[in-house]
Amino acid sequence: MIRIENLRKEYPNVVPLKNVNATINDGDVIAVIGPSGTGKSTLIRCINLLEKPTSGKVWLDETEITGPGCKIEEVHKKMGMVFQSFNLFGHMTVVENVMAPTMDLLGKPAQEAYDNAMDRLREVGLSDKALSWPDELSGGQKQRVAIARTLAMNPDIILLDEPTSALDPTMVGEVKSVIKELAESGKTMMIVTHEMSFAKSISNRVFYMDEGEIYEEGTPEEVFDNPKKEKTRRFVRRLKVLEIGINRRDYDYLGTHRLIEDYAQKNQISVALTKKIHRAYEEAVHQSIVCAMEKPDVHLSIEYSQEKDEVEFVADYSGEEMNIFIDGDSISISILRSVVLGEKYIWDDTKERGNRVEFCIK
Amino acid sequence: MRKILGYILLMFILVLMPVHAVYAYDTGLITSKDQLKSPGVKIGVGVGSSSMLLVEKEFPNAELVYIELNEALPALAQGKIDAFVYDYRQLQIALATGVEGVKLLDETMDEEVHIAVGLSPATEIDGLKEKIDTFIDVIRADGTLDDMYDRWVIKNDFEIPDFPEIKNPKMKLIVGTSGIATPYSFYQGDELCGYDIELAERFAQYLDADLEFKVYDYGAIINAAASGDVDCIMANLNVTPERAQALPFSQDLYTEKAGIVVRSGVSDSSIGAFFNRVVTSFEKTFIRENRWTLFVRGVITTIIITVSSVILGTVSGFFVYLLCRKGNKVANSITNGAMRLIQGMPVVVLLMILYYIIFAGLHINGIIVSVIGFTLTFAAAVIGLLRIGVGAVDNGQYEAAYSLGYSDHKIFFKIILPQALPHVIGAYKGEIVGLIKATAIVGYIAVQDLTKIGDIIRSRTYDAFFPLIAIAIIYFGLEALLGAVIDKMEINIDFKKKGQSGYLKGVKLNDKN
Repeated sequence: MIRIENLRKEYPNVVPLKNVNATINDGDVIAVIGPSGTGKSTLIRCINLLEKPTSGKVWLDETEITGPGCKIEEVHKKMGMVFQSFNLFGHMTVVENVMAPTMDLLGKPAQEAYDNAMDRLREVGLSDKALSWPDELSGGQKQRVAIARTLAMNPDIILLDEPTSALDPTMVGEVKSVIKELAESGKTMMIVTHEMSFAKSISNRVFYMDEGEIYEEGTPEEVFDNPKKEKTRRFVRRLKVLEIGINRRDYDYLGTHRLIEDYAQKNQISVALTKKIHRAYEEAVHQSIVCAMEKPDVHLSIEYSQEKDEVEFVADYSGEEMNIFIDGDSISISILRSVVLGEKYIWDDTKERGNRVEFCIK
Repeated sequence: MRKILGYILLMFILVLMPVHAVYAYDTGLITSKDQLKSPGVKIGVGVGSSSMLLVEKEFPNAELVYIELNEALPALAQGKIDAFVYDYRQLQIALATGVEGVKLLDETMDEEVHIAVGLSPATEIDGLKEKIDTFIDVIRADGTLDDMYDRWVIKNDFEIPDFPEIKNPKMKLIVGTSGIATPYSFYQGDELCGYDIELAERFAQYLDADLEFKVYDYGAIINAAASGDVDCIMANLNVTPERAQALPFSQDLYTEKAGIVVRSGVSDSSIGAFFNRVVTSFEKTFIRENRWTLFVRGVITTIIITVSSVILGTVSGFFVYLLCRKGNKVANSITNGAMRLIQGMPVVVLLMILYYIIFAGLHINGIIVSVIGFTLTFAAAVIGLLRIGVGAVDNGQYEAAYSLGYSDHKIFFKIILPQALPHVIGAYKGEIVGLIKATAIVGYIAVQDLTKIGDIIRSRTYDAFFPLIAIAIIYFGLEALLGAVIDKMEINIDFKKKGQSGYLKGVKLNDKN
């Protein structure tokens, strides 16, 4: 359906897309993932011609849309776009936002446009907000209206540019479920997202973007569970493992707690278990290692396993041989022991951080 | 409404207070010419007039203040100047109308003032100087000139004879006059009359010419003749060496003494007298000679200029904005340059440049030139407002519409503009109010708008109070009126006040089934 050949996009100071080649087939749901600044959004905006590619070609069916003389308006009618910032038209009510493009661009009569708009709003669960103004809606509701507006044009493909990134965590769910339903209905879609579990659950293909190109592509299972290339592996691992480095006594203690909180939320770790991770971090790392050392150098890795519903907790730290379970503050250690299992201490003086403590939290 | 009445009342009080206070104030009075020779004395004279030269010669120590007759007498009564030197006859007539607090000295200036017809060097009439000199010779010989002088100037018989209409005019004669110099050139009701007006009529008869008058301030009248806007000036024009450099004069019509008025110190400051003064002043300003019709004419002129400039300025500003919108470099740099030029100079200068330089040879009516000038300034303001308004609309709106398949044209008109206008409608209203006020300067280019009418009436009544108050109130009224019209527009522009944007028109909202 869409074919991208040697697409390149240059800005005066950076080159976000060096050479992108891809094919999107009818019915594909493609998730585009990757670290920030690797051109995910630029790619989707180039396909939609919001950005003019520096070189390369994009084909929609048999039309070369990057070519001269291409009717961009016609291309856009077949290609819907959902933005991070919703971009509802502020001077129209919700239902008019959905109706207006079909009347202005497809020439539908008002009544037909209205009925169609109401159907689309019902699909996203917002028919009761039809006569509200966009600024009276929550972020999640706005994004659902924006999706309804795109659907009303009945495009062949929908491009979604980080549709949940501008939303409050509480509103992400409603938008994700609308997109998921859409994906299951067989619409061709391409979505840029940072929500990895969401990407994995809705897509049939995943593009991992890095170094200005599609660095690795495959099914969600291939990319997320068995990535072939090193950078992909590191990126995917970083999603699953929380790594924290501490190299000062007055480090950002509260910020570290916040990182743990975010990680727990992203991985849907239960509240009880999250509490235990906080406790373990507090007693083992903060009290027993950081506060006990003049110049701490600690590397922490926390990995959650969904199948076993347990957390692997590993702390490497520098300095003399010191087993916190023996030499650490006795009160802290007794609290720590009440939440952890399988404690293990290893000393290896060949490494920079010679001490290693491992345990498991359930 | 109550608010507006409140403002008017407040203004009345503010204006009445100083009038009352000043009339009761008196210090050292001047009784002879010798007292004016001491240094630091402030003597008022007309701009560029002979009296200025006379004063410079006789009172070299005096400080000159340039002021016209109708402003000079109140200024004198209020002690802003110590004396005023002017055409003796005009002073006599002015004082006879009952101007209080001033008196004419028995002594006059040593030299007399020469009065003649000023001729345009750029006139299209061949041999105008010979023609007018011969004409003056003829009417002097048959006694008409003396008779005219006797009727208008000595007896103050303000009756203009009827002249037959000229059937097949051989040429067109455009005469510049002042309209504010009784008994030479002044308004009776809304009719021009006076010695110079009769002279012009007679000259037109003599030439078989179609006659047209144009009314200027004394400050602008020489320019008008120099640029060829009028063929000649008949306005009790003093012959001065400076003026003679700019334009030729006919032979002298007559010579006139220059009188001196000073503060009399005689004034009745009782409340009763004050009340009487207000009543006479009102009668003089509005009722006598149906002068209110002049106000009506002035208001209509002001409205015509304002409304046409608003409409044309909005349309042309919008059009130019559309041309520049896509960032065309040539269009933008031309527009920016023109905007800087137009907004960078006082509007009065712009108008005079248009009238006396750019359109000088075309004999275009001053109202049209005013409309052109204000259209330019208003268009520049509209372009600025549109840039601000459109800049305030988030770029995401453009991207969303573009990616839905809207064309550039439709995006602007259906998505961007409706959201941009509410941002600037308030400022637009302010621009219109500013424009109404700015039109007060069109008197400089021979247009008789509301403010100029006030000047004309003050030149007859020698009283500043009612003409100025009336003008202020009428401007208030006009602003309120146009403001109300814009408020109506605002409801249509503010999408939230309006309700829906029109797509739902005629749609059955049957979402329940």
